[in-house]
Parts: sequence; C-alpha cells; structure tokens
Amino acid sequence: MNPVDTHCPYCALQCAMTLTPAAAAATPAAAATPAARPAPAVRPADAIGLPVSIAGRAFPTNRGGLCKKGWTAAELLGSAERIREPMRRAADGSFAPISWTDALDLIADRLRASRAEHGADSVGVFGGGGLTNEKAYQLGKFTRLALGSSRIDYNGRFCMSSAAAAGNRAFGLDRGLPFRVEDLDAADTILMLGSNVAQTMPPFIGHLDGARQAGGLIVVDPRRTATARLTDDGAGLHVQPAPGTDLVLLLGLTHLVLAERLADTDYLARRTTGFDQLRYSVAGWYPQRVQEHTGVPVRQLRELASRLAAGRGTYIITGRGVEQHVDGTDTATAAINLALVLGLVGTTHSGYGTLTGQGNGQGGREHGQKCDQLPGYRKITDPAARAHVAGVWGVEPEQIPGAGIPAVELLGALGRPGGIRTLLVHGANVVVSAPDADSVRRGLKNLDFLVVCDFFFSETAALADVVLPVTQWAEEEGTMTSLEGRVLRRRRAIDPPAGVRSELWIFQELARRLDAPGVYSADPSAVFDELCQASAGGIADYSGLDYTLLDAGEPAYWPYPAGSGGTPRLFLDRFAHDDGRARIVAVTPRGVLAPAQTRGALTLITGRLLEHYQSGAQTRRVAELATAQPEARMQVHPATAAGLGLTDGGWAELANERGTVRCRAQLSADIRPDTVFLPFHFPADQRANLLTAAATDPISGMPEFKRTAVRVRAIAGPDLPTTDHERVMADA
Amino acid sequence: MPEPTGAARPTPERIVVVGYGPVGARFVDEILPLVEAGLADLTVVGAEGEHAYNRVLLADYAVGRTDRDTLDLTDGSRARAAGARILTGTAVVAVNRTIRTVSLGDGSTLPYDRLVLATGARANVPTLDGVKRVRRGLMKPGAAAATLDSAEAPLPSGISALRDLADAATVLAAVQAGQRIVVLGAGVLGMEIALAAAAAGAQVCVVYHGEIPMNRNLDRGAGSVLTRSARRAGVTMVNHARAESVLFHHDDAGVERFEALICADGKQISGDLLLLSCGVGARTELAHLAGLPVSTGVLVDESLQSWADAAIHAIGDCAHVAARPVDADLGAAWNGARMAPAGGPSGLIGPGWRQADSLAARFSAEITAGMTTAGTTTVDWGAAPAVAESAPVLAAGPGASVVMLKAEGIDVVAAGDTAADPFDVDDSAHAHGCAAGDPAPLAVAQWADPEHGRYVKMVTRGGILTGFVCVGMPRTGAELTLLFERGSELPADRSVLLRFDGPDYDPETAGDAFAPESTVCWCNGVTVEAIAASAAAGNVTVACIGAATRAGTGCGGCKGRIGEVLERAAAQSVP
Repeated sequence: MNPVDTHCPYCALQCAMTLTPAAAAATPAAAATPAARPAPAVRPADAIGLPVSIAGRAFPTNRGGLCKKGWTAAELLGSAERIREPMRRAADGSFAPISWTDALDLIADRLRASRAEHGADSVGVFGGGGLTNEKAYQLGKFTRLALGSSRIDYNGRFCMSSAAAAGNRAFGLDRGLPFRVEDLDAADTILMLGSNVAQTMPPFIGHLDGARQAGGLIVVDPRRTATARLTDDGAGLHVQPAPGTDLVLLLGLTHLVLAERLADTDYLARRTTGFDQLRYSVAGWYPQRVQEHTGVPVRQLRELASRLAAGRGTYIITGRGVEQHVDGTDTATAAINLALVLGLVGTTHSGYGTLTGQGNGQGGREHGQKCDQLPGYRKITDPAARAHVAGVWGVEPEQIPGAGIPAVELLGALGRPGGIRTLLVHGANVVVSAPDADSVRRGLKNLDFLVVCDFFFSETAALADVVLPVTQWAEEEGTMTSLEGRVLRRRRAIDPPAGVRSELWIFQELARRLDAPGVYSADPSAVFDELCQASAGGIADYSGLDYTLLDAGEPAYWPYPAGSGGTPRLFLDRFAHDDGRARIVAVTPRGVLAPAQTRGALTLITGRLLEHYQSGAQTRRVAELATAQPEARMQVHPATAAGLGLTDGGWAELANERGTVRCRAQLSADIRPDTVFLPFHFPADQRANLLTAAATDPISGMPEFKRTAVRVRAIAGPDLPTTDHERVMADA
Repeated sequence: MPEPTGAARPTPERIVVVGYGPVGARFVDEILPLVEAGLADLTVVGAEGEHAYNRVLLADYAVGRTDRDTLDLTDGSRARAAGARILTGTAVVAVNRTIRTVSLGDGSTLPYDRLVLATGARANVPTLDGVKRVRRGLMKPGAAAATLDSAEAPLPSGISALRDLADAATVLAAVQAGQRIVVLGAGVLGMEIALAAAAAGAQVCVVYHGEIPMNRNLDRGAGSVLTRSARRAGVTMVNHARAESVLFHHDDAGVERFEALICADGKQISGDLLLLSCGVGARTELAHLAGLPVSTGVLVDESLQSWADAAIHAIGDCAHVAARPVDADLGAAWNGARMAPAGGPSGLIGPGWRQADSLAARFSAEITAGMTTAGTTTVDWGAAPAVAESAPVLAAGPGASVVMLKAEGIDVVAAGDTAADPFDVDDSAHAHGCAAGDPAPLAVAQWADPEHGRYVKMVTRGGILTGFVCVGMPRTGAELTLLFERGSELPADRSVLLRFDGPDYDPETAGDAFAPESTVCWCNGVTVEAIAASAAAGNVTVACIGAATRAGTGCGGCKGRIGEVLERAAAQSVP
C-alpha cells in the first residue's frame, strides 16, 4: 500500500501525519511527502515490527512536528493486547470469543427485551469525543431511531460542555477557536487560562512564540506547569490564583479594565448588549477584594489588565482548568465578557477561544451525541430542527425522542429502578474518566447488559457482557473537526485485523436486526454526505462539503454552507444571535471558601501528563509512554510534604468520603502549598476520579474536576518494608 | 403558619429596606428572586439621590483615578422590572413598631412585615474649636434627605469628610488644583486618600494622634515601615498631634474658609482643604427613637435580627452584631443602662455584603416555606436553614476581617490580633486554668527590613494563622490573606511564605537550564541528560538528535536549545 496522509489519533490539534505501511516502508520517506518538513520525520527504527511507520507532515497547525504520543501511536495497531474478535463474558467472569453473528443477535435480543420490558429509555448510549464525525452522527441517529431512546450523551460533557454553553449563550454559536490556530502567531498578547498546552498538545506551543517574543504570554494556573514556564525569561507572566477562584479573577480584571478606562466603549455600543448589568456586577470586585479571594497581588492584576488592553493582537483562551467547575459556564462567560469589554471578539487580529481537548471534541459536539441536540448543532427541542432532520432521516418528527439527560445524570441512573438497564459504550472509559468513578463502576455492575466497543480491554470493557472490537485510526476512513473548526480527513493506511469491524457496520447490522426506520450506511463517505444534508441550515452547517473537496486539500472551516467557501474567522460582521450582537451575561461567583488547609486537608486538582491521553486506555499500552510515566504521582509542595511526613517518591494516601487513592508523592515547588495534583490517566486505586464528586454545573452539566477536598497522609507503600514503628513492633 | 391552599396565592411579604448604599443594594439583589416570584413586596428607601454606588472606590474617584460610572452598583432597572419600588432622595423619619410602618419625610407611611435597616454610617466630626458640633442623641431625623447628616451644622468651607459623592467632588477639585490637603486621622481610609492624592499631584500632610498610622490594624513595626513608605511617597506624616482648633480666613467672596489646623502643642498646619478622616459612626437615630437597643450600632443577634423586635433587622455599617443577653429587659430602658457589648460594625464592605447575603437567604428560606414574622418579640428561627459558612463572619468586629490599604506601590494588609511579640511567653494556658499543655499555643514569627520597606508578622495558635500584618510584600500578603480567611495552618517553616516575594521565587533566575534533569523538548519530554547521552553516542547534530530522541520534532521551538546543549557537550568532551 502507498503512504497515506492522515492526522494523529489523539488530541484536538489533529497534527498532520503520513503513514507508510510496513511493506512500503523501505521507500525513502522523503519521496512520500513534501520536502518542506522541518524535522527528520520518519524514524525507521519505529517501523520495525510495526504495521505502519509515522512521519510528521507539514500543516499549518503542527508544521510537521508531532509529540511523543503521536510518534508512538502505531504501537497500538499490532499490540498483543488488542481485541481481535467479539468477546462474551461468562458466568465466572472470564471472556470467551463469540462470532459476530451470535454477538449481534444477542445484543439485538437484549436491546429489544429491555425496550419491551422497561421502555425505550431503559437503553442508554454513551459516546466519545474521539469518534469520527460519521460515527458520532450515526450513533445519535441509531439511538434515536433504532433504539427509540433519548438517553444518549458522551464524554465531551466532561471536557467542553461549559465553554460550549458559554459560547452559545454569548455568541449564539460554539466553535472552540472561532479563528485559525495560525492567527495566534501574530498576536502580541495571549492570555491562557487553565490550559497546560505544553503537555496536552505540545506542538501547539509554537503558535505562542510571537506573543512570547513580545513578552506577552500570560498563563493563569495554580501550578507552575510546563506552559507556565514558557513565560520565563521575560516571555510573559505566570499568575497563580488559588484553585476555584478564576471567576473572581476575571471579574476583577474586567473591573480594572473599566476603572482604568481601557474598555472599547465604541465596540460595546455597536456589537454587544447587556453591558450595563456587567458594569454593575463588577463594581464590587475592586482589586484589593480580588486579591483577598484569589491570592493574586493587586500589582499583578493591574499589570495584567493594562497588558490585555495594550493594543492589537490580543487573545483570551480558556481550558479545562477554568471550565471543569460547578461554575464553569459562568467562568467561561466571564472570560468572554472580558474579551468583549476589550473589543477583541470578531476582529481580524484578536479574539476569544477555548481549546478543545479530544481528537474530535469539536465535531463530536455538533452532530447529535449530546442529549439535547440534533445534527448541525441544532436543538432537539426546536420543532423546525426536528422537522428538517426527520426529513433527512425519512421519518416523522414525532419518531425522534425529545431531550435526554446529560452524562453525569445518565451515569448516575445506571442500574437504578426506572433508570438505565442496558448501556452501549463507544469510545469512552467511564470507569476511569467519570467523576465519583467508583459509583459509576457500581452502576455498570448493576446493569442488565453492557456492551462496549473498544480496541482493548479498557477498565470499562472489562465489566462488559459483550465487547466488540473496532477499527483504529489508521484502519478507517472518516472526518474529524479540529479545535479550530476545520474539517479534516482521516484516511485508511492498512487493513484492520480480520475480526475487527467499524462502528458504522455494527450500527447497520444492529439496525437491521431491530427493524429500525431509516438507512444506516456502513460507508463513511455516504454517512458524511447524509450528515452534511442533516446539518444544512444549522449552526454547524457542513452542507457545502464532501470527501472530494476535502481530499483536494480544501481548508474547510465550518460553517460551510453549500455554495460558500467556509468561515476561517467567525463573527467579523455579526454574531450568530438574531440581532447580530454578542450577549454579555453578568455572572456572579456563588462559590464558598475552600476548606481550611490543616493537618493534611488540601485541595485536589486533576489533569493530564504529556505521555498519556485521557483515561490512558491507549497510552498506558505504549511501552515508551508507560515507561516514562508508569503510575500516578501526587504533586505536592515540599513545605506541605514536610508537615505531613511525605517524601519524594514515598507513598501517600488521598482520601475523602468517596474514595481512597494510594500513590507516590512527587515534591515540587511548582504547586501551591494548599493544593495537590493528580493525573487522571491511571486505573484501579490510582484513579483520581475515585475522589472527584458528581456535582455538576447547572447550565452545562460539567462536573467539578478541579476542586476536590481531600485529606492527605503518608503511608507505608506496598513495596516498602513498613514503617519503622511497625518494624520495631514486628521484631518484638 | 398559614397552610398554602390550592390556587390561593399567599399575600406577598412586605419588606422595607431603609438605606440604599452598597449593602442595601446587595440585599435587594439577593432578595429579588423572591420578588420576581411574587412572594415578597419590596420597597427600598434611600436618602441619597443616586442609585447605590461602591463607596469603597470613592477615594479613587476623588483623585480622578477612575470615572464616576465605575462606582455604579446598579441602576435599579432589574429591581423595578421585578416590581420593587425604589425611593431615592427620601428620608425615613420614624419607625412605628406597634403598627409596623415607617414614616417618610413627605409625611406618607409604608407598612412592613419585615424591616431591614441598612442606614450605614456617617463620618465622625471631631471636636474642634471653630467647627459647630451637632447634638444627635434622641433628635428626630430631618425630613429632608439631602441634608440628613448636616442640616444642623454644615461643615465650614474648606473642611470636608469623604463619605459621599459630594465630598468626593470637593476633594477632586482640590486635587486637580494641586492644593495643600491636610488629612486629619491616619486610619486606613485617611492613609488611602492621602497616598492617592499625593500620587495625583496634591501636597498632602497627614495629622494623627498616636505614634503610628493605622494603629487599629498595625503593630508598631508595620506602622513604622508604613510611615517611612508614605514619606517616601511624598506624604508629610505628623504623629503625636492632638488637633484642637481650626483657623479660618475670608476668601475674595467673603466666605470663611479653612486656613490652618492648630494642635494642642501649638503646631499650626496650614492648607487649602482639611479632610476629616476620623472614623465613622453608625446612623442609629431611627432605631434609638423606636426604642430598639443600640450600642455602637443597632444591636442585632447573629441572625441579624434586632434584640427587641423580631420584625426588624440591621445589616452593614449600622449593625452591631452581638449575642442577645438571655433574660435582659430589652425595652427602651436598655439604652445606656448597660455596658456596651463587645464588637461593633467593622466598617468594611466584605462583612456587610456577607450579612446582606445571609439575611436575604434566610428571608427567602422562611418566606418560601410559608413562615411569616410572628406577632411576638421572640421568634424561633431555629428551623430556618442557616447559611453555615457565613455564620462566623457575621460578628465581624475590628480585627476579625482583613484590612488592606489601597495604595499604589505600598502594599499593606493586616488581619486579626497582631499585638504579640515573638518573645512573649504564652501564659494564656495559665490564665485559663489549665496548667499543662496548651492545646493551641501562641507563636509569633516576624521579619523586618525597614530599609527596603518590608515587614511581616505572623501570629498562630496551634499552627493556625490567627493574625498577621504584611507590608511591602504583595505576594506574601496575598497568600497570608487566603490562609487567614480559611483558618489554615502555616507551613512549619514560615520562611516559605516570605519567599513568594523573593527574587528566587521568580524562576527567571532560578534553576539551571542545563541541569541534567531539565526538560529541553516539551513535546517529547526529552531532557538535557538524554540529549547529552545521545550526543555521546555519536548524534552530534540537531537533526540526528531529533531522529534519535525525537527532541525538536514537535513544535520545533527547542531546536536552539538543543544546539546549545550539543555545544556544551562538545566543549566538555574536548580534553
């Protein structure tokens, strides 16, 4: 097979790469791709024993570069742990192979039975932000028509829902970055709030260079992360507020912008509504009071406000750090309000954006995986939207169920009377990634029937009644919509293992067995064409696109209605609300003070490491990544550690009413003394989400991941002799 | 308790708020959902002609640092849309407790089921020869709202307080003209306006009684450092000065104007404007006349309910929160007949806003649950859901809250009791009669560097921060504030906190970029050590290093540093 151009399987930056199948790997790589690659992109050593070799490919976002995760992605294709045929769990808990026909018959029977016995809404579907647009679209359609259920939501609820809700509320439209990634290159000032891009999507940081050279990279993070370190040496400013105080910080900055007459009053008058209420709402957030709440000194606040207003090329960008809170929607709204007051949004040189996390976190939230949504980012409660989509699907609008329930609520209903009895999981590992993870695990065990589609026995798949093996990125065709709203082609470089199928085929087979209304093609191109039709006239309109256009290299930024050339930069003339104006919504902090930091009572924040992606189901199976980061480590300040008797590399226990985590401590002055950090990639009793609560934002349904009260103590680790005291007791 | 029946909607609870300053307005904001739901009928009466504004920012406005509209807290539109009435420029002259009405300056009355006093405080006018004194006592408040505080004795020309927008306009004129301003009193507000006015170009002299400025909040060390800093900022500081009288001159229009302040020791301090910053006193006349117990403010219990009348509440600067005596005669005879209870209004906005939030939350819970104010003077609110987190902050007297000086370049923040000295012996255990092992011993840590304007004192009990003062160290001050607010334990090594403001905390100079464990390529997690090892194995170009270790194959931003690491490695390998 020939070298194939595609994009990385992991995050939303979707770095461009070229895959050369093993048989063709002998051909010099340079011949396969344009010569303009900056790095020696193919490492033949990688290709030894792997089905494909990976080369970085020149593209505006990654410019030929890849991070460690991307370079090693091919290891998973031929992994010994890969599931290569459908598996059924026996009574004793062990798994045995089952044929596709038998597996699909069994699943169809159970789906029918659950619907007949407990109603259509007893069947739930949990999707993922890593699925292609085609799969995400088909999953929504399959749930609503073939299952007749409203109970679908997805793991994007844990990532993007707050920023999405805030964007929709303010602009009438949610596209993570309403501008191109490379537009950031020309910026003088970039304010990054709660995003550790240097570790989560490293090739992105090249786009921060312009701001760094101008001394204008500002990183707001309670931790001195790799991204915060990019502000060193005069490149900018690191602001370190106490966890959970971002909203107050943003209100305080807005206050200062107004008080120091830095607001763009002409812009506010022409392009926004609601400014007066904002003005009143921030009048009380004078800098001294903000310092009192956030710990950020007044002087730094003033410096920050004047830098933001310093002139052309200013971007405000939010990430999960400020969004994954019970007030995440309001916090993202406060960031948007600040950007609006400064007149940044919808200009040619400045803007506001949120960094989407998962590979198809953008497309995955546009085409019907969300409980309240139909394709094209349409509202499922809007009669016109229902009529349009029903027309495309060839059904009556009444056949489409109404709004369902968001992820945390859906997971909370697992196995409960009147709740979900049967669950299908696609591209998610909720046992690791959902808040209050142990109650989710218990919920899964209480189900009548659980079906998981995956490549591996993820912690969630291990609880399934039937596991269906599906294709990986290099084995399939499709589209992904990146963090900048650009629709990209994923292409097949090699054939999947013989017993592995695509989700589209599985939906087709199940729909047939369930006598479902509508058509379910297994051909990604045909599904994409249908998706485009279904999205026509919607907010995320793809109707001008098809595979031919994308394959020709068209930089396709949505909205891309038929007859248009797409929209690289949004809102230049108007916002997406009917009156064309952005809505400023005044928000107020409702938080309470963090608990006292006494005797090991600390605030836990969770996040990611460079080496791992999401629940780690994939990256923990890549030897190079697992060797670099084999286990969870709790980052803790040395002063705090000293008080608790924790040592670097020694064992710690974090506990609260929901669970207990045991892991090694890593001492670092990069974290505030009142805070500890755990990565959430690890399984079993190192799951950070054993500790997080299922409390959610009232608007977005986003869980609170970044501010959990825990009690920390030093323990004797499993591989340590025991404590001195115990040793003495044993000797006696 | 009336049973909610079918379609019959309960009569809305009539709530009257007296006072439309920042605390009254906050209460209005918080109670609005109840008004919107038709469960409450709200009237707010404010003496000032304006909608509520943020008084805390008055000094900024008075020196021209910010615009008038930055102060706005509301335009009342949301409240009006919800059906609330807002009467600005209106005085309340009497509270008629038996028939539950208030009388307004225009002779009309308003009935209430619940009355909230948020009348705030007025500036104290000290006893000075030449300035007419006002006898307030049991005097009925005047019907004219505009002259509520000054009708009997307007301040002479060239003398002003800084409490409202009119005062701010007076100060602004003086500042803009670059005039000489004499500030009498060196409390936090006096120091703020003095420093701000000096920064804005006025000539400023602060005259105060004690040895140090802000003596209610600072210990001697901090006060001394602040004095130096203020002098460096161009403010003349005159301590140990007891002001006695005022001299006047007649200006060209024949108006008597301020000329100089005369001190007890004969010192004369001349200027164009005398700014009185001698603290504030709660406006309690209405409560006093209505026979409610009053001390330094209207006496209310921790639920903010008057000691003597379950239908009346007080919040903000007019409220004195103290536990109600169990079996006291709380009639009018109480006033003056007893010792004043401890505490009193804090004069700070934060506690006032928390009181407004808490009272609105309680009203909402009670009214939603169908509870009305009973006709007796004692009502058991026990069933009402308490706002637990705010309970401890309600009784916020001086010292219990964080006080921060708002001044450019001079960072002062203090809270709690900071009188103790590092070498004081903690004998509180003996005083409490438990001879051995105080479970929460007092400890004090201190850092003083007057030359560089830095001073920190941290007072702990059992490791928990109970008081601190911090001058000239903004990050440390910010961290201590957080730790104090949360009742947190300090690290055993207190000097960790000082380092927040040290140059070594700023990592620009910290760490060795070429230390073996330093990361060079973030995209691929490659360290100096890994690159050096690869170079030793023969990979001596950036491209070779990329192929071997992937360093530089992500964003490419580290290629320059890879080159430097290679150069160093090459230099080291040369014998």
